[in-house]
Amino acid sequence: MAEIIALDDVYDAVILIKKILNKKGHVVHTFTEEEEAVDFVRSHAVDLAILDIKLKKMSGIEVLAQMKKILPEIRAIILTGYPTVETAREAISLGANEYCVKPIDKEELEEKVSRVLGEGNGGITAG
Amino acid sequence: MERDREQGYLEIFQEVAKLISMVLDPQQVMDLVVRRLPELLEVDAATIRLLDAGTNTFVLGAAHGLSDEYLARGFIDSRDVMEMIMKGRPVAKTALDADPLYQHSAEAAREGIKSVLSLPIIFQDHIIGVMRLLTRKNRSFTAREISFSMTLAEQIGVAISSGRLFKEMENQVDFLKEVHEISRLVNSTLDLNTILQTIVDRLPGVMGMKACTIRLLQPETNQLELAAASGLSAEYLQRGSIRKEDSIFQALKGEPVAVYDAPNDPRVQYHEAICKEGIKSILAVPIKKGPEIIGVLRLLTTEHHCFTASEVIFATAVAEESGSAILNALTFQKINLLFNQIEENELFLQAIMDSLQDRIIVVDGKKRVVMVNRGFVEQENRSEQALLGQPYDCISPWEKGEGQPCPIEQVLATGEILVRTERLMVNDQPLWLERSIFPIFADAGGVEYAVETLRDITSQKSLEQERMEREKMAGVLEMAGTVAHELNSPLFAALGTAELLRDELEKEEQRKEMDIILRNMRSMGALTKKMVAMTGFASKEYVGDTRIIEFH
Repeated sequence: MAEIIALDDVYDAVILIKKILNKKGHVVHTFTEEEEAVDFVRSHAVDLAILDIKLKKMSGIEVLAQMKKILPEIRAIILTGYPTVETAREAISLGANEYCVKPIDKEELEEKVSRVLGEGNGGITAG
Repeated sequence: MERDREQGYLEIFQEVAKLISMVLDPQQVMDLVVRRLPELLEVDAATIRLLDAGTNTFVLGAAHGLSDEYLARGFIDSRDVMEMIMKGRPVAKTALDADPLYQHSAEAAREGIKSVLSLPIIFQDHIIGVMRLLTRKNRSFTAREISFSMTLAEQIGVAISSGRLFKEMENQVDFLKEVHEISRLVNSTLDLNTILQTIVDRLPGVMGMKACTIRLLQPETNQLELAAASGLSAEYLQRGSIRKEDSIFQALKGEPVAVYDAPNDPRVQYHEAICKEGIKSILAVPIKKGPEIIGVLRLLTTEHHCFTASEVIFATAVAEESGSAILNALTFQKINLLFNQIEENELFLQAIMDSLQDRIIVVDGKKRVVMVNRGFVEQENRSEQALLGQPYDCISPWEKGEGQPCPIEQVLATGEILVRTERLMVNDQPLWLERSIFPIFADAGGVEYAVETLRDITSQKSLEQERMEREKMAGVLEMAGTVAHELNSPLFAALGTAELLRDELEKEEQRKEMDIILRNMRSMGALTKKMVAMTGFASKEYVGDTRIIEFH
């Protein structure tokens, strides 16, 4: 059981993540606005943040940086539809645990979430 | 006795008169007189000396009855006697051996001379010589004898003068012929050295002299430089500069200068060298071209020579004739030099044009080819000679577009530079040429020539095309990435939702249909992943020039 937030500018995407992970017994809070997600982290103990790189105002990397400041132990999975060497390097340096390229299917997501939550202090896994 | 003597006077007078009318050589007249007169007048010896106008001294003309030693003495008579002679008066002296005032009695004594009758030879009121009758016994001359001798001396004067006149005329005719011949020779060539050498070789021979030199003023330095010489040793010619000699100064002012006694005359320098070379007299005349003096011609003799007026005139005339020829030759030399320079410049220009990779062609206002460079010749595979003078249209590689104005004509008409790129097909390969046409304006305005350069820019063009294609490809890639990215999120949502839905479906038939949806969505996902994962791309030909990207 984990507290998870999902942030993506596509509403359907966060709903899907919520549906998949709810079935696994996790509590998923969905956001399409960056500020709302960051604010949520301030007041809640969140285990995992699943962040899309391309958001409305900021990038997922920037949001992760802010969240890490608020909650250093927060784990993160970065999703991207367009991976680049730069974003991957930044994500890793900010302590992202996973870096996944969309579209990602149900099993893959379940497996990655379970692996990230199962890790001791969240070293990144090549995927 | 008296009658015999008178008869003798008459005879000798007749003989002299006959000789004067028949014999043109005054020497013969003088010889006759000095031979016949002593016998007739009962004297032992006779001399005739002629006045040299150049040196104002008396030169021996003829003598009879005297030793060579006596004749070679440096003086003739005492000053008062010579003064009387120069005034046209005869002087008779006797008992010379006893005269303590007669300064030159030693020579007279050696010769045994006791009495002398000195008579001036007069022609047209000018003293031209002196005749002397000498005796070895004391003798006094009667007035009659003196009068006869004076008349005879006058006749001798006439003979000498007319002989001289004839000789002079003869010389002048010879000189005239020679001037003509030298003029013909020097004007038959434009080679300066030939002209100068012809003059210095020929002139001394004609004038009976030893040597000749020509010095020309160098326009750059205004100094005289030896240009040609004959009859002189190299040592003499290299004795040093003579520009400070008075004779040269005078000649450069346009005046001829005759130097009778060169070894001693202060108007010439290097007396030692002059003596060593055996030079006695020098004539220097200016070489003129119109009023301009361009040099100095010098004639040199090995015997003392009194230059006559006609010799001076002749030398001056030759120098003047030479002046024209020399100046013509110098002008020719200059023209030749200029021509060579022009030729060199032209070769240099051609070398520059040939070294250029571009093909260059120059056409005149009538569109005829006046110049092509090697690049053009090689490309055309025709000789340069075959190309020059050809109409431009015959050798231009351009097809004449219907209704389109010829670019060369355009430049010739407007004077504006024209640059355009043209594509030709050579052996089924595209050949891109940059064609630039530049006008060359005439001094009076208007375009005189047009220069066309053709530069092969095929490789440049292909690079440019490659770069454009690369840019296009980069654009396509960027767009593919964006599209993939934008598609991925909705695809992710759709695919995930469909997967969840499939788990909830109960009927096998519905699940199979859902699988079709899922399979197709997954292949769309695989495609977008390929698109974004692409780090490189290859293109392949599609239709014509269009290419499409092949995803790996």
